[in-house]
Amino acid sequence: MMPVGNLVGMVVRNTVRSPRHFALSAFGIVIGIASFVFFLGLSMGVRNVILGKIFPLEVVEVVAPRASFMGKDITKKLDDGTVEMIRARPEVKEATPRMKVAFPAAGFGMFEGQEIKFEVGGFCDGVDPKVLADDPKLAALFKDWEAAGADDPAKTVACVPPVVDDKGVAGKNPCPDPEFYYCDVQDNRCHRRVPVIVSPTLLELYNGQVASTHGLPVIGDLEQFVVERGGLARMRFTIALGETMVAGSAMATSDKKRRVEGMLIGITPKAMPIGMTVPIEYTRRWNQEFAGDEAASTYSSIVVTLNDKDRLAVFSAWLQEQDLRLEDQLGERFATAIFIVTTLFVLISFTIVTISSINIAHNFFMQVSERRREIGVLRAVGATRTDVKLIILGEAALIGVIGGLLGVGIAFAGAALVDWASATYLPRFPFKPPTYFDFKGWIIAGGLGFSTVFCVVGGYLPARKAAKLPPAQALAAQ
Amino acid sequence: MSEAVIKLRDVKKSYGSGAARTPVLRGVSFEVARGELIALVGQSGSGKSTLLNIIGGLDTADAGDVEVLGHDIRKIGEKELAGLRNSSIGFVFQAFNLLDHLTCLGNVTLPASFTPGAKDVEARGLEALRRVGLVELAQRHPSELSGGQKQRVAIARALFGAPKLLLCDEPTGSLDSETGREVIEFFRELNEKDQMTLVIVTHERRVSSVARRIIAIRDGQLVDGEELALGAPGDAGGAGAGGPA
Repeated sequence: MMPVGNLVGMVVRNTVRSPRHFALSAFGIVIGIASFVFFLGLSMGVRNVILGKIFPLEVVEVVAPRASFMGKDITKKLDDGTVEMIRARPEVKEATPRMKVAFPAAGFGMFEGQEIKFEVGGFCDGVDPKVLADDPKLAALFKDWEAAGADDPAKTVACVPPVVDDKGVAGKNPCPDPEFYYCDVQDNRCHRRVPVIVSPTLLELYNGQVASTHGLPVIGDLEQFVVERGGLARMRFTIALGETMVAGSAMATSDKKRRVEGMLIGITPKAMPIGMTVPIEYTRRWNQEFAGDEAASTYSSIVVTLNDKDRLAVFSAWLQEQDLRLEDQLGERFATAIFIVTTLFVLISFTIVTISSINIAHNFFMQVSERRREIGVLRAVGATRTDVKLIILGEAALIGVIGGLLGVGIAFAGAALVDWASATYLPRFPFKPPTYFDFKGWIIAGGLGFSTVFCVVGGYLPARKAAKLPPAQALAAQ
Repeated sequence: MSEAVIKLRDVKKSYGSGAARTPVLRGVSFEVARGELIALVGQSGSGKSTLLNIIGGLDTADAGDVEVLGHDIRKIGEKELAGLRNSSIGFVFQAFNLLDHLTCLGNVTLPASFTPGAKDVEARGLEALRRVGLVELAQRHPSELSGGQKQRVAIARALFGAPKLLLCDEPTGSLDSETGREVIEFFRELNEKDQMTLVIVTHERRVSSVARRIIAIRDGQLVDGEELALGAPGDAGGAGAGGPA
């Protein structure tokens, strides 16, 4: 075999000398690889947004199927034993219980000079504060401040609740740190406001649906928003336990009512999608106070983080054996839809590349025919059949590499154009990403690899034909 | 006769198959000694180019023995045969067969592309061009050369690997008479000064005039079954001629 350096040099010279042949051969490959890289990058980008931000697939929610007998609710109870059983599964990384507020509750407060009211009962989850361990800022605030031993210096401070005048304006907060504390009307003591987190989904819904229709400001960065409005104290609101905005509620007439204050401290995907989330001990205590012991020991769901989202099917099968199920997995449906669309695009790209490969074969057959005499000369001066084959295959591979690079470049340019058009012309919508593309390394490597392989495959038969040409016949060619 | 560079025994070659089978060589035998300059003459279609190709390993004989530079051409492997063409046999063709996209120097050094560990390639290429008097045109492309210059570049390429055997197929066929005469004179010098063995296929009398021996072929056979021993120009009789086949 000829030295590799000489082979590369000859391949490059042969390719450069015929731009027309290169263009004819590479055109289809460039288009095919560009579409392959573009659509896969788009699929990955969209997948990142949908499955990473909107419906994270490796985080699933386990619930007990609803069941009743003779009108009696016999739904399996999710308790600490269930949580431990799930945690013991090999495919489970972490399992944290959620407990809904199991009685009527309503929220109200002032926001941007407007009085707001919302239902809390059924729309408030309690979660273990440990779920925010990876966010130190939030974790420092998201605690059960009422727990015994909690680091809360103002907990025992007595106070007189401020008087609310005829216009509903409250007097000065008497507590030592009014940004975080309020004076409770039940026990006349200062209490830390209940820390509340909400999900990006809720924020997107607010920004996309509520803000524009109610003339309220769009919230971009919450931290910045809070600073601009004078601190977290402006994010406070009242939670009226035992009250409701729902007319006809069977529990609305209950005499047991109590008010606490809450404070929005941050936005995180760990919060329930629609509603507010508080440390679970708050909901446990409230449920015990308003709905009894069973409500205080029964979880509404268990949020499970899997080690590997590909193990979801195994975990799901095991859950069925335990009379449990996954909450409706929209993410899974989207994942399937994305997979189908991606597969379709990749198939189209492969079809283009395959046709290009046939085109390359055709062009190289023509080339071999036109270059018979040259091939004869190479054989006469010492080229073996293998050398001739490698030269032709090398030319095909070089077209593949250059065509692949051009294709990747076009895909990147197309992606940049789409992102620019989206940022410039598309209106804001929930989860609008800064880019729709995620060009992972394997996509680019795959594009270049496929390009090269398909070109080499296309060049193989012409190369074999060239190698088989008897030198004397090749030299006799006109 | 000194050591034989070429030994042919009853070499046969046909093209086509069945009823269309056409015999081209019908049992050709002869030997060429080291340092000989042989003219292979005959009418068009007589089989002389086929014979030259078989000697150079560019074509294969159907039958017979073909020994070149001590190698049984019909039995050695493809790689060994390519190595033989690369290092020990030079070819000069009527149509020059230069590659247009390469410079003169690139054409001359083309054999080095297939030689592992080739050294001083450019210097050797320039030296080959100097020998044919074209070193100043090293960076020109064949399209910028006259017919005679092209043939001299082709000869330089053939000489690049310092071959022991030079096979020339109608080397003056595309040249005017003056240029052809210069080329023939160059071959004679190669033979006399370098003791290089040359086999020149031709049907031109002026070429055969410098040959020490003329082998005539008609209808795939040596004429009258033997060769015409002429001797070197100026020699009396058949000095240096090989024996009958």
